[in-house]
Amino acid sequence: MAAGVAAWLPFARAAAIGWMPVASAPMPAPPRDKRRTQDGLIILNVSGTKFQTWRNTLERYPDTLLGSTERDFFFNEETNEYFFDRDPDIFRHILNFYRTGKLHYPRHECISAYDEELSFFGIIPEIIGDCCYEEYKDRRRENAERLQDDADTENNNDGVLPDMTLRQTMWRAFENPHTSTLALVFYYVTGFFIAVSVIANVVETVPCGTSPGRVKDLPCGERYALAFFCLDTACVMIFTIEYLLRLIAAPSRYKFVRSVMSIIDVVAIMPYYIGLVMTDNEDVSGAFVTLRVFRVFRIFKFSRHSQGLRILGYTLKSCASELGFLLFSLTMAIIIFATVMFYAEKGSTASKFTSIPAAFWYTIVTMTTLGYGDMVPKTIAGKIFGSICSLSGVLVIALPVPVIVSNFSRIYHQNQRADKRKAQKKARLARIRVAKSGSANAYIQSKRNGLLSDSLEQASKEAGQALVSKTSSSFERQHHHLLHCLEKTTNHEFVDEQTYEMSCMEVSTVNQSGSRSSSISSQHGLTATCCSRRNKKTFRLPNSNMSGSRPGSVQELSTIQIRERPPLSNSRSSLNAKIEDTAQLNCDQPYVTAAIISIPTPPVTTPEEDTSQSPDYSQSNIVKVSAL
Amino acid sequence: MSGCTRRCKLGVVMFARSVHRLVTGTLNKDKAEDELEMTVVCHRPEGLEQLEAQTKFTKRELQILYRGFKNECPSGLVNEDTFKQIYAQFFPHGDASTYAHYLFNAFDSGQNGSVKFEDFVMALSILLRGSIREKLRWTFNLYDLNKDGYINKEEMTDIVRAIYDMMGKYTYPVLRDEAPRQHVDAFFQKMDKNKDGVVTLDEFIASCQEDDNIMQSLQLFENVI
Repeated sequence: MAAGVAAWLPFARAAAIGWMPVASAPMPAPPRDKRRTQDGLIILNVSGTKFQTWRNTLERYPDTLLGSTERDFFFNEETNEYFFDRDPDIFRHILNFYRTGKLHYPRHECISAYDEELSFFGIIPEIIGDCCYEEYKDRRRENAERLQDDADTENNNDGVLPDMTLRQTMWRAFENPHTSTLALVFYYVTGFFIAVSVIANVVETVPCGTSPGRVKDLPCGERYALAFFCLDTACVMIFTIEYLLRLIAAPSRYKFVRSVMSIIDVVAIMPYYIGLVMTDNEDVSGAFVTLRVFRVFRIFKFSRHSQGLRILGYTLKSCASELGFLLFSLTMAIIIFATVMFYAEKGSTASKFTSIPAAFWYTIVTMTTLGYGDMVPKTIAGKIFGSICSLSGVLVIALPVPVIVSNFSRIYHQNQRADKRKAQKKARLARIRVAKSGSANAYIQSKRNGLLSDSLEQASKEAGQALVSKTSSSFERQHHHLLHCLEKTTNHEFVDEQTYEMSCMEVSTVNQSGSRSSSISSQHGLTATCCSRRNKKTFRLPNSNMSGSRPGSVQELSTIQIRERPPLSNSRSSLNAKIEDTAQLNCDQPYVTAAIISIPTPPVTTPEEDTSQSPDYSQSNIVKVSAL
Repeated sequence: MSGCTRRCKLGVVMFARSVHRLVTGTLNKDKAEDELEMTVVCHRPEGLEQLEAQTKFTKRELQILYRGFKNECPSGLVNEDTFKQIYAQFFPHGDASTYAHYLFNAFDSGQNGSVKFEDFVMALSILLRGSIREKLRWTFNLYDLNKDGYINKEEMTDIVRAIYDMMGKYTYPVLRDEAPRQHVDAFFQKMDKNKDGVVTLDEFIASCQEDDNIMQSLQLFENVI
């Protein structure tokens, strides 16, 4: 809870007087303020710069250095001030946190220095305010990445670890060719053969002059077919060996096979093997020719050798959505104009615009301002629309491209920041929820602890010993007292979610086992809602209608609980009695009771069985069990 | 008919204007943004001596109270939303907004939608240092939602329901819907002496003074400051 509102707790407690007349139970005693600390000024001397603040300001956050007794370690008796040998500039922000409840991150400060100061003063960085949190997280991540990079390069530059297996050495050689001369040689050899293979593919198709007995030029590939075949075989063998070696050396073979580079390798060498297998059949030669096209993919193998190519590929991949949008808008424009041109040119004779798809070609050529001139409109309407098409082509293509290019980085980073903010928002909301439930659960927890410790205190008082009670801040104690008063006013207790679910479940099973109880109260209570409890004192029955149902099976829940005896009131007020009769709520009776409510049992129910069952039931039951 | 022709003429004029703008290439005029009037309402309380005379707090206590007040509300005024926010922080389990609303009305003696420091401190003075009769009168004022001098059953039900709302969902025993109403019935049975369906201030004070529990609990928060 924001300790800034701690100043308003007295007001909230005073306003609780509004509940008193309607309270159905007497109020618990207020906590005694063990030490009435005088609100004085504290001087904090941080490396010579003096800061002053109220003592209460610092004590708002008792789990930090300045708010706890840890600061006594820094107290300087001679000058009567607290001296810290730390950075005064950053300390200013830390002190402001105590004053305003919000921690800010100054942008000009170094992130690691700031983190160090925060950890020294015991402040967790997660409470940095929303205004500065994003910046803080960004800087922190950058720093972490830089450190990680440094660590990585350090690792890479390390010499070979003494006990690396052959496989690991090979993989390292493949990934970082600079590590050993053998790897470097291998790297250059494969690069050379890739280049040779690509050039061979290109030169294959160049016309090489005529061979005797033929009329037209033959491409070199057919003229020197054997030579090219040998070259191809050599290249493919090298590539195959390389691929197999990488496959063997890969630490995770499955991941390697799925990676892009290995797919490129496979695609590069497959056509050759398929070509070997296939015979020189006319039917499949078409497919065979197609396969040869895939040989050009060998050029992509260069991306292992070129960093720039990899970056380009990565950029294209990450801007795929923007490119897709450009494509989509272009397609829309193309379809529109193609349709218009087709219908405009329908009338003219010998028109090349035979169909709308045929007009696509014209539209694309015109819009990209290529203007081949193989298809031209002849009608006046066609020419008008054609000019509109070319003008809009300039707009559609030329304008978005620079915008998209500059949008690449902007949208890319923006998306990243939006996702980051969403993730942070989720984490932030979760933190707020945790803090809220934390403060809620803190009360329930302290109730349990408090009752236990109180009963222990009573026991120890009787035994004549002093007990050290658990320390909690006075603010917490007062706040819990306030919540306790609310419980007493409404005669209900705060519980956490699990116990609530459990109690609902128990009552539903109670309802299911039938309404065998003949008591009127159960008709009122159980059938309508969840748990109602009835108090049965061991020596007296408060409700007269209970006696009739005793011998029959009584469906109730059992618990043993001990209530603290309020020191002042000894008599039950008339208000309480009325409520007990009409509402059958659990009254807070001012003395110790053992409320026994038995679970649904077979028809023969004796009180002895009830009490015997209660111990094991109470374990699964929610309420505090404490032995006196 | 004349209305129709007038509308048509208007439409044509607007169309011509827009075509003219298109042809000459005039840009859209920037819409004049309304200057947001940032009036910062600031309120300063009366002097320390006067407040000390009017309330039962010492100077030191007033200083502490004012520092806390000013920290949360630098402008010197609390409006209802801030009030609800502050109050809700103390009751994270349930919904404290309704009760905070009633409380705000009780604090806002001038009924002008904001609580000044003087109102705040006067109310606290009554609650913490006042006599039993003053405290009970303040509580009666809180319950009397429409400030007509009588508490009827609906007002009481509203208040009690607001109190129960603050408990939230996870309670033991589970909160039933009739619980507030039964609570109110019990209260009325006790408070309404002449059974006329409303509780007046005198009935209220009289019945509270008869009840020891209530008397004890009214003394509970004396040492809050």
